[in-house]
Amino acid sequence: MKRFVFLVVLIVLAVNLPLSAAPKVVAQTPTLTIWTDDQRLPVLTELSKAFTEEYGVEVVVEPQGTENTMNTMTQGAATGEGPDIFTIPHDNMGRLVDTGVVAPIDLGDKAELFLPSALEAFTYNGELYGVPFAVENVALFRNVDLVPEAPATWAEAAEIGRQLVDEGTVEYAFAFPDLGYNYYPVYTAFSGYIFGRGEDGNYTADDLGMDSEGMIAGADWANTLIRDGYASENLDWEAAHVLFESGQAPFIITGPWAVDRFKTNEVPYAISAFPAAAEDGEPGAPFIGVQGFMVNAGSENLLLAQTFLTEFIATDEAMQYIFDNDPRPSAWVATFEATDDPDMRGFSEAGANGQAMPAIPAMGFVWDAWESAGLLITQGELTPGEALTQAAEQIRTQITESE
Amino acid sequence: MNIKNAFPVTPSTILRLALVGVFDIAVLSLIRQLLDDGNYPLSAILGVVIVIITLCYSLEKLRYYRWLGVSIAAATLFVLYPILYTIYLSTTNAGYGHILTKHEAVEFLERQQYVPESGQQYTWTAYRSLETSDDYLLWLQAEDDTTYLTGIGTATKPASIGADGVGAADDKGIPLTIQGYQRLEKRDTVAIIDQLGEIAFGVAPDIIRITGLSAAATTQQRYRYDSDSDTLTDAETGLVYHPVEGVFETDDGQELPPGFRVGVGLHNFERFFASSALRGPLVRIISWNFAYAILSVFFGFALGLFIAVLFDTLPGKEIIRALLIIPYPIPALVSILIWRNLLNPDFGALVSLQESIFGTAPNWLTDPMWTRIAIIIINMWLSYPYFYIVSSGALQAIPTDMLDAAAVDGANAWQRFVKIILPLLLKIVSPLLVASFAFNFNNFNLIYIFNQGNPPIAGSPIPAGHTDILISFVYRLAFNSAISDYGLGASISIVLFLFVAAITWGQFRYTRVMEDQNA
Repeated sequence: MKRFVFLVVLIVLAVNLPLSAAPKVVAQTPTLTIWTDDQRLPVLTELSKAFTEEYGVEVVVEPQGTENTMNTMTQGAATGEGPDIFTIPHDNMGRLVDTGVVAPIDLGDKAELFLPSALEAFTYNGELYGVPFAVENVALFRNVDLVPEAPATWAEAAEIGRQLVDEGTVEYAFAFPDLGYNYYPVYTAFSGYIFGRGEDGNYTADDLGMDSEGMIAGADWANTLIRDGYASENLDWEAAHVLFESGQAPFIITGPWAVDRFKTNEVPYAISAFPAAAEDGEPGAPFIGVQGFMVNAGSENLLLAQTFLTEFIATDEAMQYIFDNDPRPSAWVATFEATDDPDMRGFSEAGANGQAMPAIPAMGFVWDAWESAGLLITQGELTPGEALTQAAEQIRTQITESE
Repeated sequence: MNIKNAFPVTPSTILRLALVGVFDIAVLSLIRQLLDDGNYPLSAILGVVIVIITLCYSLEKLRYYRWLGVSIAAATLFVLYPILYTIYLSTTNAGYGHILTKHEAVEFLERQQYVPESGQQYTWTAYRSLETSDDYLLWLQAEDDTTYLTGIGTATKPASIGADGVGAADDKGIPLTIQGYQRLEKRDTVAIIDQLGEIAFGVAPDIIRITGLSAAATTQQRYRYDSDSDTLTDAETGLVYHPVEGVFETDDGQELPPGFRVGVGLHNFERFFASSALRGPLVRIISWNFAYAILSVFFGFALGLFIAVLFDTLPGKEIIRALLIIPYPIPALVSILIWRNLLNPDFGALVSLQESIFGTAPNWLTDPMWTRIAIIIINMWLSYPYFYIVSSGALQAIPTDMLDAAAVDGANAWQRFVKIILPLLLKIVSPLLVASFAFNFNNFNLIYIFNQGNPPIAGSPIPAGHTDILISFVYRLAFNSAISDYGLGASISIVLFLFVAAITWGQFRYTRVMEDQNA
């Protein structure tokens, strides 16, 4: 027993001594931690070396998926976890701001140097919460060997596709990765929408357009092709891309992330803006996803993190460097205008009338229901009207349940 | 005897005590840190672990419990704690907007500063004391171009070039020197900006803080929490917030994020059982869940046993055995993805094979029935090597003299299998079958990787799929949407746990009855 007591005393002393007796560490130089995705990792690592050289502040750049970043930020950031800075698509912003874990950013005069639409995407409740660097949207890809000129209407696109199938040149008239995010420009061409905007100009969960006439008309376009056997009954992101790159489908709607694989497979593609519902109609509008830097509000290096972004990232050199190493239409006007890459031009044209992806939390309920509706339509289980009405009900139910 | 009663100081005792000491120190520092973070439950559990381990390894009386002590400690930490934590979560509203504890939320809100109406905005330049490294002065320039000097604990005073030790100005009107202090260039302040940001310049109530690389402002703490009345007051607007269901709210319902986690009793269970929308097509999911688990075990075991019996006597069985076990070491994730591609309707190899033979092929990914069949087949593929190994081993344990005797009595091969081999075998492997059932009942990987629970069920009040099992449905409910509801997810997993526990208990009882009969 004696020995036990002795041991306990020793341990208590040992645990307390080093912590209490140690002199207070004199302020040392801080270290900035940045989380980003795999594509941006090498770029930011290089950039931060320059920052370290210039200001003597160490920067650690770590790869993290969006989901992981979101989980850490929404669950642990208030208790001191997470990076100082992270890159994230803007549609996650609503959840981050509502949880109170991101700090507003003041760009000052530099705000003019960004695309207004990119800044708007990162604005929530009237405050700017991110420094945007890239704008992403889907565009219409066509196989130029099969389709030299971009179609002006969706009816025309379908007609070209059908002809090619009838001739036996291709297997399908159109490749559909999904009937949700990628397909959104078709819905919008027929004036469909997901969330309407309230009086304050922000998206509102009270106006859900999932079952609006435009959405149903948009889904009908794909449904007709599928029912007539001109498009696959199997809705699969990967399969759709394989169809396009193997020349088995003349059209696909997809984003910048697919460019590399199309180049590798040497499919002769061209990127263009979206057709309209009718000759004199508005072209379809894609969702715009803006990639940007956000600052952890619980960071011990809050001011440093904000300074890093406003003084170092929001510069011609850094923005050009980010663009050169991972080409996506830049959110920085100078870089955006300097490029003559036809792919980037194509994406910009397609996104010219784009709509910022809703960043309200209710958007989280949309994806699963929307995906299910798309599957039910392609499988012929439900008509577009039935499927989208059901999806709308599911989303409304979940919004009500969560309140 | 003598040695024991004295003080048995052997080298091994010293080493053991030293190791226990090192372990305790490590864990105690961890607990200290957790306590600082306010994580009391985990600290308490670690406290239990440390007591168990220390007692077992330092008291001679308890030396027989040493190894048991380790497993009890591990079970406490890795089994008991998650279970208790899940139960705790199920009684809270933890989830989107209610992640923090109330203490953390208040702390977060009390950190917020604001610039009061009487407050001033400035641009600043910092000067560091030549004597002590943590004393600074700020040269402030207000919007109307008036200039001030402020320091730590000294009131902010108007200042001008050439007066009170202020040296000559540069071309921007900022003094190059101040007596006793050295000017810091902007680039030099970057590294220490957060240090500067923590400093309250001036004297209360006119505290000036740095708010950016060139901006400073008179700021005040925005929210103050009063623990007696349990209210939070906004100094800027004068609004008073009360905690209501895990979020601070004014009397007219204006909410102040972030919310925090509060106990809600059995509300989550009520929601699950009362709301037809939340349950979704629950009956359908549960019946498929049972079918999935039972059929998976049945076919996997049947195929494994069949192969084991078939190759038990064949020449060259070692090579065949080695080949047959191949699916086992391949990660299930890889196998499932390969199967998914083989069954792809557009370019799956198996699909084109079926089409060339039968002229048509079922749609393995979108037809509810065929997707379910595909899942059972894949699970058979994944699990038969296990049952093959187990059965092969168990077959060796069946005494051959019984079989010989049966053969002499005129029983044919089938009769010998059904009457002798199978009953004896089942007795050996039935605990494994029960375990395998429990595993497959919650086999989330296969369902989610193969088809995410799809194809979707038409007419379901919330998204659910024909191949969703309970656990993948819970995943959809709690994690798939952006608005995670951990409290609800935890309460459903408890319901799920009760299900599996009841079934497993029933099965073990059943097998015990069977064993009794056999014996």
